[in-house]
Amino acid sequence: MTIWILFALMTGAAVLAVLVPLSRRKAAETADAAESERLFYEDQIAEIERDHGRGLITAEEMRAAKAEAARRLIRATSQASAPQETVDEPALRRRRAASAVALSSVPLLALAVYGAYGSPHLPAQPLSARLEQTIDPRNLDIAEAVARIETHLAQDPDDGRGWDVLGPVYMRQGRFEDAARAWANALRLLGPDPARLANLGEALVNAEGGVVKARAREAFEQALGLDENHPKARFYLAQAAEQEGDVAGARAAYEEIVRRSPPNAPWLDVVGERLVAVGGAPIQPRAPFATAPGSEAGAALAALPEEDRLAAIGGMVEGLAARLKEDGGSAEEWVRLLRSYAVLGDRDRAQVALAEAREALAGDPAAVATLDAAAAEMGLGGAAPRQ
Amino acid sequence: MLIEAGHFALALALGLSVVQFLVPIWGARTNDATLMSVGPPAAIGVFALILFSFGVLSFAYATSDFSLANVVANSHSQKPFVYKLTGVWGNHEGSMLLWILILALFGALVAVARNAVPPKLRANTIAMQGLVTIAFLLFLLITSNPFERISPAPFEGQDLNPFLQDPGLAIHPPLLYIGYVGFSITFAFAMAALIEGKIDAVWARAVRPWTLTAWGFLTLGIAMGSYWAYYELGWGGWWFWDPVENASLMPWLAGTALIHSTVVMEKRDALKVWTILLAILTFSLSLLGTFLVRSGVLTSVHAFAVDPDRGLFILGILVFFIGGSLALFAWRAPMLKQGGIFAPVSREGALVLNNLFISTACATVFIGTLYPLALESLTGAKISVGAPFFNATFLPIAVPLLLLLPFGQVIAWKRGDVAGITSRLYVAAGLAILATVAVYAVTLGGPALAPLGIGLGVFLVLGAFNEVATRAWQSGSGGVALAAKRALGLPRSTWGTVLAHAGMGVTVVGVAATAWSVERIVSMNPGDVQTIAGYEARLEGVFPRTLHNYNEDVARFTLLDDGREVAQLETMKRIYPARGMSTTEAGLETFGFSQVYISFGEIQPDGSLGVRLYYKPWILLIWIGSVIMALGAALALTDRRYRVGAPVRAKGGPRGSGSSTRRPAATSAVPAE
Amino acid sequence: MTRKQRRLTLIGAAGATLAIALGLVLWAMSDTIVFFRAPSQVVSEGVAPGVRFRLGGLVEAGSVERHGDQVTTFAVGDGGGTVTVRYRGLLPDLFREGQGVVTEGRLDATGLFVADTVLARHDENYMPREVADALKENGLWQHDGPAVRPAAARDLPITTPTQ
Repeated sequence: MTIWILFALMTGAAVLAVLVPLSRRKAAETADAAESERLFYEDQIAEIERDHGRGLITAEEMRAAKAEAARRLIRATSQASAPQETVDEPALRRRRAASAVALSSVPLLALAVYGAYGSPHLPAQPLSARLEQTIDPRNLDIAEAVARIETHLAQDPDDGRGWDVLGPVYMRQGRFEDAARAWANALRLLGPDPARLANLGEALVNAEGGVVKARAREAFEQALGLDENHPKARFYLAQAAEQEGDVAGARAAYEEIVRRSPPNAPWLDVVGERLVAVGGAPIQPRAPFATAPGSEAGAALAALPEEDRLAAIGGMVEGLAARLKEDGGSAEEWVRLLRSYAVLGDRDRAQVALAEAREALAGDPAAVATLDAAAAEMGLGGAAPRQ
Repeated sequence: MLIEAGHFALALALGLSVVQFLVPIWGARTNDATLMSVGPPAAIGVFALILFSFGVLSFAYATSDFSLANVVANSHSQKPFVYKLTGVWGNHEGSMLLWILILALFGALVAVARNAVPPKLRANTIAMQGLVTIAFLLFLLITSNPFERISPAPFEGQDLNPFLQDPGLAIHPPLLYIGYVGFSITFAFAMAALIEGKIDAVWARAVRPWTLTAWGFLTLGIAMGSYWAYYELGWGGWWFWDPVENASLMPWLAGTALIHSTVVMEKRDALKVWTILLAILTFSLSLLGTFLVRSGVLTSVHAFAVDPDRGLFILGILVFFIGGSLALFAWRAPMLKQGGIFAPVSREGALVLNNLFISTACATVFIGTLYPLALESLTGAKISVGAPFFNATFLPIAVPLLLLLPFGQVIAWKRGDVAGITSRLYVAAGLAILATVAVYAVTLGGPALAPLGIGLGVFLVLGAFNEVATRAWQSGSGGVALAAKRALGLPRSTWGTVLAHAGMGVTVVGVAATAWSVERIVSMNPGDVQTIAGYEARLEGVFPRTLHNYNEDVARFTLLDDGREVAQLETMKRIYPARGMSTTEAGLETFGFSQVYISFGEIQPDGSLGVRLYYKPWILLIWIGSVIMALGAALALTDRRYRVGAPVRAKGGPRGSGSSTRRPAATSAVPAE
Repeated sequence: MTRKQRRLTLIGAAGATLAIALGLVLWAMSDTIVFFRAPSQVVSEGVAPGVRFRLGGLVEAGSVERHGDQVTTFAVGDGGGTVTVRYRGLLPDLFREGQGVVTEGRLDATGLFVADTVLARHDENYMPREVADALKENGLWQHDGPAVRPAAARDLPITTPTQ
């Protein structure tokens, strides 16, 4: 509503600027046409006299020049007619018509044009104000999150975690050069890590349109130095060999990945394709396994015999429980522990773990909510004890 | 709310400019002072509204308000603040808003100016300015609305074209636009005169300050654009005969002719029809330039076909104003009372010659710029018209014009005699020839024509000051002190002429000196030394750097003179990730008027660097000369005649009267030099 | 001089100047104008060695070879033909494989195009106008990116020659 009042005020001011001179009985400043021309030629004559006074022209020249200026002056003033200040009937009618034009055309045109193109309901949205708004994670979209992190990093570029978070987002958005920059910064600030190095390499490769160049190769090799099994690093290095025309080397490299990978590793499909492309034997399909597909550890587990596997899982769950008890952890990790107990059918320990989790996360209502939701889903111990 | 208020202000300005057009012109027809008095407040109101609107858009840029489509498309939250502001006019919509703002500014200036403009002329002029404003406001609101909103608003913008993220952008377009659009007011004056059917010396004087203002700014704008291209594009050229540049050169040439023809009109009441035609043509060429740059027709003929709205709209405006004004001209011009015809050897004869040459030169630029476009749209054949064409057509016309310029300055009004002219110019001519010979001797074996160019420049500078000297030392009377006093007592418009012509000479010297520029393209590794025109450049190394919204590779050079370190130079290749574009920043080091210019290409596989080294002797004179020209215009503007509304007793005399009446006295005078 | 004579002098001077200017323009038109040709036109129609023209198309992927001393050779094609170009000098910022390019120079006797100028536009998706048109004719270019985007600001000189 206020915006329409503002518009009305602006329109009023504009119309008034026109109406005021129209309503005046006498025009404020009426320079007389004849008068202004007379002044112009008098000025010219004065100049001629001044030149004569300085000895620039002879008396005869002065007379001739003055005569010419005077002739023009007479001609000009005889033509000029002073504007009329009359308030006779036609003049009044004209004023009324002009006022009507001003009163109607200004607001009507403005409203018509603004109505066609304006968006009166939209407020101004300066970025700083938007970033200061309290964050409601439910409404946070990727772009906004990225903007917030970028703003944060612009102020504090040494926050490695921020770069770590941005990397995958940039990758998904196809901003490979930005992703490479983000991971390079994360590496610089947080230190080398095989996953980060491999991700950096991947971003560089994508930025080069799929070609593995020197910098990317360096990153992959460093990653392998830290974790000789890292499949992503191995895969891209194999690609590099393939791109260089080293078919035999590429085949060997792909076969090496297959050898080092657990069966049913998700990347095996792609590797198999490449392997066939460079003339290798297709990978033998193996029995699918249900547990934790897609996770490296899960795939490794799947390879174990039944009893060993249960023992191994039990051991991992114990390890997780011990770590969470000792160091604490996020709500997600606690939920994972609860699920593990639930899967193993150990409800008692699940209940104990739930209590421990509530205690550990007491300071964080959002985490407790997550926890409660998960517990309810698994049919574990009801509401949290109130303190 | 603020943003929408800015948008509404534009719509309101449209309504008000309709009043600005209709009411005063009606008042002038019916000779009604009250109706005519509506013009000034309406013009000021339109200006205030558009200024407010422009301020709001700038505010939106400054605060990165990404709810505006225009801000999203041309800004970025991490951009340096200055470039957020200059980004306002670094795009189509914003620059059109600036265009209109300046249009309204000139209308408001005419409304408040206190100089002695007859009331009817003023009313009609304000009305015509209102008509131009209406056309462009409609164009802005309908096809290029800068206040288009996006909801929900994105959180980041797409960044401004990196080439425009440069201090050059901050000043170049506003200067250029003040020049372009300034000629709208002379156009409005010409239309007003045609409507009223009354054109005389008074009209010429009323128009003159506006022409001078527009011309001065256009000169600065073109010079800035040229310098910007010189250091931003990375290959050392300063004028490319590019259609965009030609689009600004054409109104400049026509405006130059107009400045000279209004002098004749003011002094001799002649050349009326021609002057009016020139005023129309000058603004038409400004409009044409706007059309060429804004319609996208230069980028691609297809752009025109794919997105024809803007192009067709501007074309419509172009046809309406050029066609309409020429039709009015054809109808009214025969009714104008012709002034006298005059002797070939006279100041007015020389000015006619000047006009003839300049308009011919302008015509060759026009043909060279539009012929390829016309040919392609008619036959589909694609040709390029480049520097060789313009060198072969423009220069043969420009050089004689410049050569004759000092003669025109000493020639008397009404009738001059050749003997008198030569007696006052032989010193300047002699010195210029001496300079030519000296330069030729020093640079023996170098370019043969360049010393002649230097000589021409020297002749122009000396010829310009010749006027001051002869007028100060007239009749051989008095000593140095008196002469100096007389020289200082000369009207400012005389000094303005002197400066403008001398500035032209300085520019000519700078242009001629480019013939001696040295260029080397080499591969360099860190530690390598290359010599360029007596300097040694040592590549210290290349390192990456991240700043603001770009990453760059920096090549650092040390410049040595006889083994002594004289300067550190950095040249950069910047990559702007938001647009994926790269730019080259040349490294420049100035020695006097000369510059060493270094830029680099790509880093070779073996790690060496492709480097371009230039030595540009006296290159700065090109732009210094332009600044002097603009200063001349500014000085002439401060002449009492233009400031005082109703001069009762003018102190300064117009430039012409002194020389016209000096004639007999001067024949007896011994030339001062 | 009489009034009539003066008028004649004026008209004569104007006529002479315009005639000279017209002569210069016509002469320069025949001498300095450079035609644009696409690689397919060069291949199918043939161009005599030594005739100066502009060649525009896409830089073929994998064709760029550097020979030291700033000499580069690359192939320019448009789907209907390919012409090998030799150029000595620094390449512009946006010279890339797979991107549009316009070069100016002459064919030598062996059919190699010796360019003295390479033009590239500074825009991420710029396609030189002539190249875009030529590619469209050959059906290689559907992307209207640069076409729908109106010219940015002033203000850029259209092309940046490098020498």
